[in-house]
Amino acid sequence: MTDVILEKVGKTYPNGYHAIPSVDLSIEEGEFIVLVGPSGCGKSTLLRMVAGLESISTGELRIRGERMNDKEPAERDIAMVFQNYALYPHMTVYDNMAYGLKNRGMPKAQIAEKVSDVATMLGLTELLQRKPRQLSGGQRQRVAMGRAMVRDPKVFLFDEPLSNLDAKLRVQMRVEIRQLQRKLGTTTLYVTHDQVEAMTLADRLVVLNKGKAEQIGTPMDLYNKPATPFVAAFIGSPSMNLINANLTEQGVKISEALTLPLSHAFRGGIVWGIRPEHLEVSDEQNADFALRIQAVESLGAETLIHGKLETESGHGEPLVVRLSGPHLPDINSLMWLRAPVSHWHLFDANTQQRL
Amino acid sequence: MIENRPWLTFASHATLLIGIALVALPVWMALVASTHPASAFGVGHIPLWFGDAGAETWGTVLFEKAGNGVDTPVWFMMLNSLIMALGITFGKIAISLLSAYAIVFFRFPFRNLCFWIIFMTLMLPVEVRIVPTYEVVANLDLLNSYTGLTLPLIASATATFLFRQCFLSVPGELVEAARMDGAGPWRFFFDILLPLSRTNIAALFVILFIYGWNQYLWPLLITTDDAYYTLVMSIKRMLSVTDGDIAWNQIMATTLLAMLPPVAVVIGMQKLFVKGLVDSEK
Repeated sequence: MTDVILEKVGKTYPNGYHAIPSVDLSIEEGEFIVLVGPSGCGKSTLLRMVAGLESISTGELRIRGERMNDKEPAERDIAMVFQNYALYPHMTVYDNMAYGLKNRGMPKAQIAEKVSDVATMLGLTELLQRKPRQLSGGQRQRVAMGRAMVRDPKVFLFDEPLSNLDAKLRVQMRVEIRQLQRKLGTTTLYVTHDQVEAMTLADRLVVLNKGKAEQIGTPMDLYNKPATPFVAAFIGSPSMNLINANLTEQGVKISEALTLPLSHAFRGGIVWGIRPEHLEVSDEQNADFALRIQAVESLGAETLIHGKLETESGHGEPLVVRLSGPHLPDINSLMWLRAPVSHWHLFDANTQQRL
Repeated sequence: MIENRPWLTFASHATLLIGIALVALPVWMALVASTHPASAFGVGHIPLWFGDAGAETWGTVLFEKAGNGVDTPVWFMMLNSLIMALGITFGKIAISLLSAYAIVFFRFPFRNLCFWIIFMTLMLPVEVRIVPTYEVVANLDLLNSYTGLTLPLIASATATFLFRQCFLSVPGELVEAARMDGAGPWRFFFDILLPLSRTNIAALFVILFIYGWNQYLWPLLITTDDAYYTLVMSIKRMLSVTDGDIAWNQIMATTLLAMLPPVAVVIGMQKLFVKGLVDSEK
């Protein structure tokens, strides 16, 4: 069953700024959707429009078939976790979680039961009588989630909920959020700028760029078949090598001297891409091109090698290679590489669409 | 900054002691004077230790008519003062809270203009607008009434400004979280905003109570009925007796009584007062 439908939803601010031209998205029940993009791409605005904190300028938002455009946030049956948690500082953890239920006129005994259920699930039982300022960052985060969970909403909204935590805690909370969501089966919309968070959490990802949904799909779809160079560069770390080239009868012409053979009907300017992990080290005879090594990042399990394509003029395109295990090549030495055709990504340079 | 220089400690303590003496000496003299007969002041030297007329003076002041043309007892005037001071204080706090709430959290045309107009009334204290205000109060038939004593003094730009600053520091996410939790404007005001500005309200209470208690010119102007006389204005009235002895001992006792409530408020609310002006828990 389709739970949330965004139909040509757009946002124009009163000052004329066109934040989001038009986004179409339909979310299945129980799905975990992550909105991801660089800062200023409109992902938070989109989430806040679903929440009802921003008005919807054009288009329609439906939750369970019901039009929500003009409903107050409290009437939409949604719950939101904010970036800074937004816990009420003067209330205890219990009151923070119970406040929304109280406002709905739920009987006290029922509130107590619900809050204690959720508190047990999140391991907050001992903290119920504390004030938010007596809690650590991770505990506050949990309380914020608990406040959202007690209400049994149709949809959870998360606005970069982990960005205020340290790296270790972030990984831990990420796993926890995913498990909770699976357990509860609540439809979730999650905003982040961190592509690792996005890849690990999402059932489906929405990559936003300047208010436009560049691509919507599963993490593996996006990794394997990015629709645009923007998605290709955004998903995956280190990001994909993208080089402007020309598609000719001989193949992909990267520079005067370097043409990678390919038969393709398209002619003209393209963006040629290959992920750093798909480049292979080879010997001189079988290599497609050579790389002049400029920097080596050894991470133990893998090694990132930064360099430039070796050309006669010396102005080659920068390229990153990712090799598993430790490698210690000399800086400024040459490295011969093979780029298997099956891993190529080709995009039309004009339309920015995948070929 | 922590410094460990003995002479500096000595100097600072000495300064503080001199300060205390300067402030406390007149109070001490008033206390001593209230225990001497009224005639003790005419003889040329000022007594510095208690006399033996204390019980008599305080008995008169506390339980009998104030005298010198004032027909109400001092305790009754204290009550009047208290009603006026509390009326002004609570009125000011309520009105400023509401106007600051409107200015900060609601979008309406000319919002900023409204704020600046309120702010400009800082330049119009009672003393400046006293004649027109008197005219208005007189036309409304509010002379000699508690409403007349308090209402014209209730509007407060200072308090509105203070609450505006306090509300502006409330994070936007908190407002949004409350909206998500289904709190309407009133609920948000009472459940979130009031508890958050608790310390600011307490600090303002202290300042405004003292302001209200010490009102002199306005009560003097609009009360002609003894039943509405306030303590502070009556002290002056008790002084202006045409020939005959001024009852200095009674006046001193009354003065001390007039000082008590503000002192009590300051001491009682000292902690909240400092907290409200200094830190914010948001």
